[in-house]
Amino acid sequence: MTLTFPRTRSPLQPAPVDTAPLRRRRLRRVASQCGLLLVTLIVVAPILLMLKVSLESDTDVASHPLALTGHLSLHNYVAAIKDMDYGRSLGNTVLITGGAAVLVMFTGSLAAWPMARIARRWTRLVYQLFVAGLTVPVFVMITPLYMLMRDLKLLDSYTSVILSEAALSLPFAVLFFTSFLRSVPAELEEAAAIDGAGPLRTYWHVIVPLLRPATATLVITLTLSIWNDLVIPLVMLTSDSKQTITLDVYSTIGTHAYSTAQLLPTVVLGTAPLLVVFLVLQRYIVAGITAGVGKS
Amino acid sequence: MRLTTRSAALLMLPATALYALFILYPTAKGLLLSLTDAHGVIGGSFIGLDNYRQAFQDPQVLAALKNTLVYTVVVVVVQNVLGLAVASWLYNSPAVRTIARTGLLMPAMMALVAVSYLWSFIYSPVGGPLDAVMNALGLHRLEMSWLGDTHTALMAIAVSYMWMYLGYTATIYLSNYLSIPQSLMEAAALDGARGLARFRHIDWPLLAPSLTVNLTLSTIGSLRVFDLPFIMTDGGPANSTQTLSYVVFQDSFHDFHFAYGTAVAVLLLVITVVVGVLLTTFLRRREVAA
Repeated sequence: MTLTFPRTRSPLQPAPVDTAPLRRRRLRRVASQCGLLLVTLIVVAPILLMLKVSLESDTDVASHPLALTGHLSLHNYVAAIKDMDYGRSLGNTVLITGGAAVLVMFTGSLAAWPMARIARRWTRLVYQLFVAGLTVPVFVMITPLYMLMRDLKLLDSYTSVILSEAALSLPFAVLFFTSFLRSVPAELEEAAAIDGAGPLRTYWHVIVPLLRPATATLVITLTLSIWNDLVIPLVMLTSDSKQTITLDVYSTIGTHAYSTAQLLPTVVLGTAPLLVVFLVLQRYIVAGITAGVGKS
Repeated sequence: MRLTTRSAALLMLPATALYALFILYPTAKGLLLSLTDAHGVIGGSFIGLDNYRQAFQDPQVLAALKNTLVYTVVVVVVQNVLGLAVASWLYNSPAVRTIARTGLLMPAMMALVAVSYLWSFIYSPVGGPLDAVMNALGLHRLEMSWLGDTHTALMAIAVSYMWMYLGYTATIYLSNYLSIPQSLMEAAALDGARGLARFRHIDWPLLAPSLTVNLTLSTIGSLRVFDLPFIMTDGGPANSTQTLSYVVFQDSFHDFHFAYGTAVAVLLLVITVVVGVLLTTFLRRREVAA
């Protein structure tokens, strides 16, 4: 398996062989591009609609769900931020996501290095164990994991969520780092050894900088999945003061009847931070998504 | 540098310990738990395969099994056909490619929880946006309570899931498209290959790697679907949207029937592994043959 990393490439031009008149071809291309933009707009429409409705009162929404009434106000958001204790949840989520990501980065890259360089039966076995973890649904282990956290007296703590999310993320991280390291030659590490550096110094001064592009992609991919996870926080956390944003959105609204003025601002507040991150760091997210596709 | 066996083992220790303690151990424990009669804090004695026997006669589990399989087949087929079409469209529209892909990927950045609530709102039977759109198109007679009708609820959930992941699937196909050497595409054009014929004989075989990835990801993802039915319909109406994951969660954390719930989860694991192995074996062989 090879990995695709962010790279700049010039846009591909379609082959310029055609007998049809140039004008007609150009017209068709413009029409096709407009069509694609229209499809994109249809896909984005629910998000735009959510933003619009979240700024309106219930009575406006009930009469004209699609129309722009002009009575937009941030009033709903003020109420939602207070209801959710938004600042607190945001802090919790950053702490949990950051803690798990750091843990996965260090342990994952430490383990990936020998797995990429030493092809023995036991390293391959450990590697296969990690890969197998990708197919195990979280529900098979969730009850024993819950009991384990209970026995360790960790239920309803940040630690329980950080450890669970980190362990669940490790298979992908190990796979990702290992295939990245396999694609780069070991020369730098050998040079460091000639200079007399031990394993830990080599790790810190050679491997860590070498993995930097892969790390950026991985951190963002993990942030996305941990930030958005409901199941682990739902099972592990009970007190309102420790909730992550995603759990907060769920517990604020629940499954009962709601008013749109209450529902949608809550959902927007839960979603907004990651959408902003996505718009800024998109290329890393795309690199993470396309990690499994071979180039050759 | 030459890593010695000892330093290699030490480097691998932290990750392996973390993984063994919080994933492998609970998974093994789950397999054992499913062979007991644990119910909350009571019980826990070995009862062999009784839970599995019971599960295969449990109408709730059987309904969930059927729902999960129907959902998976629909999602995998439709999402990949649409994703492939969109990717091909993106590939052939370099001028608007980046902006279109950004828009198409936005739903995939949302939490499933957020998507659930957003689509509950869209489907809402009283003045919901979907009904408003249908009114505007003159389709009043086709309107219905999308999430409240046993015939449509599961498919309504599938639509919101596919909305979320369409851009994700297309992005994977697109990256495969972009890795095809330019010279190959030019040669095909010179040979006069165009339209569907070109797609069938040139694009389709070359897209084999991304097809493997996408089919595997969408199958594993939709087999374990949980958040959407949990929030949008709570399994209803009349069990029509209960999935295996949903049943596991309800049995384990609502009824505290830990052993039975975990047995159902093991069934889900077995299905996932069997389908995953079959898919990978078949698709990898196809990749090599192509």
